[in-house]
Amino acid sequence: MSAQEQSPSSPAQSNEPETTHFGFQTVETKEKESKVAGVFHSVAQQYDVMNDLMSFGIHRLWKRFTIDASGVRPGNKVLDLAGGTGDLTAKFSRLVGKDGKVVLADINSSMLKVGRDKLRDKGLVQNIEYVQANAQYLPFEDNSFDIVTIAFGLRNVTDKDMALRSIYRVLKPGGRLLILEFSKPEHELLNKAYDFYSFNILPKIGEIVAKDGDSYQYLAESIRMHPAQEKLKSMMEEAGFEQANYKNLTGGIVALHKGYKF
Amino acid sequence: MPQQKLSMALEYVVNQALTINSAHKTSKLKLTTLEQKTLALHLTELNFPLCFTCHQEKILVTGNIDSADCTITTSLKALKTIKENHALTQAIKDDLLDIEGDLKIAQAFMALAESIDIDWQSELAKHIGDIPTYKLTQLAHTISDKLMFASKQIKADASEWLVHEKRLLVTHRECQNFIDDIGKVTAQIDKLSLRIQTLEQISDKTQEEV
Ligand SMILES: C[S@@+](CC[C@H](N)C(=O)[O-])C[C@H]1O[C@@H](n2cnc3c(N)ncnc32)[C@H](O)[C@@H]1O
Repeated sequence: MSAQEQSPSSPAQSNEPETTHFGFQTVETKEKESKVAGVFHSVAQQYDVMNDLMSFGIHRLWKRFTIDASGVRPGNKVLDLAGGTGDLTAKFSRLVGKDGKVVLADINSSMLKVGRDKLRDKGLVQNIEYVQANAQYLPFEDNSFDIVTIAFGLRNVTDKDMALRSIYRVLKPGGRLLILEFSKPEHELLNKAYDFYSFNILPKIGEIVAKDGDSYQYLAESIRMHPAQEKLKSMMEEAGFEQANYKNLTGGIVALHKGYKF
Repeated sequence: MPQQKLSMALEYVVNQALTINSAHKTSKLKLTTLEQKTLALHLTELNFPLCFTCHQEKILVTGNIDSADCTITTSLKALKTIKENHALTQAIKDDLLDIEGDLKIAQAFMALAESIDIDWQSELAKHIGDIPTYKLTQLAHTISDKLMFASKQIKADASEWLVHEKRLLVTHRECQNFIDDIGKVTAQIDKLSLRIQTLEQISDKTQEEV
């Protein structure tokens, strides 16, 4: 297995605004990355268990939906960005086969490590590469991937527009981006129930199971601060994606956005 | 997401059965020959495809029709009507069932289905709550029974089928490979013509100089 680990580059020169959101807090842009890093270093070991617990296992169906919508073929080159513990990578690795390749990229070394160990245990070693990278500054050549996925990752990225442009650059013409992310529930009642769950129950589960209520408080807040369906669609269009569209899952709690580079 | 629920449950059941049957020679052999091959099953009642991909002695169930090497299109209802003595060729001619793509892959998948021992109905019922029970029952019985039957029939009918000139449609993937090959050949020809042109120019020049 090629286990390339690069340092996520973040060029000094950037036009980023000086402050941004970290959950509901306003923090300095420079600070957000390290705060997000802190959250994921802290949750890495318990991440998979917590995912099942918090979503009642539904995240597996959302991820399956993403794979089904990806149009992946044997021989494809796939980038699972912010791939964390590698759920999507595992499926893609099986589907692209020995002639294809999957790159699991994440900014966080703890998440990458948990992912790498898990995939190794599953016997998935042949066609997976691990790269530590920041979505805003992808260390890959232009036009090099058939598919890029980012599942539950974009909301943690400091400059989402920049990340979208960076993804666009590395996609091959004809390639597609799939963004699986928490979104805005379609119905007000569901929205209220979901809010109650996210802010009252979720951090409690985090506290009891992962002994880390703060990180799960951040996760709930970051979901609320993430752009809703239509806004994200227009951000994709601005970055150059064509035929951008989305499908609401579980009443809009999650949405799958898809766009092409032609 | 009923499609994803069903594929998750099927994947679980099939792989459990494969583990139990891992000593079975036929299933082992078939899994090796089917490595990285995909069979798509289109059941009209379900309005989404079920695609079975073999990878490292496991089966992946997805909706990824793009990677199918072979597609069986039929309906649960039609499968029910195909009786033991009703030739598969006849079923195909009567438009009850259709196979596109690589016939050998369909055969191998069917032999695999035959070799694993699954109580489809009760297994699926354990995992799926909201697909109507009648569909489940039909799916459970018909998929395993009829695929087994179809496997035998395909073997028996292969020659007859060819005589009847049932056209085997090429899959999207085969088409894509073909287009890719043409692309490569075209590029090579372009290069070659350029080379010939250069050589011609050089030869003209030398002749002029002589
Ligand atoms: C909630 S996890 C999702 C993991 C995985 N994709 C999944 O669906 O299970 C979010 C991941 O995004 C990563 N991440 C956060 N900011 C990032 C950035 N700027 N670039 C790349 N990855 C980032 C985190 O390290 C974390 O592993």
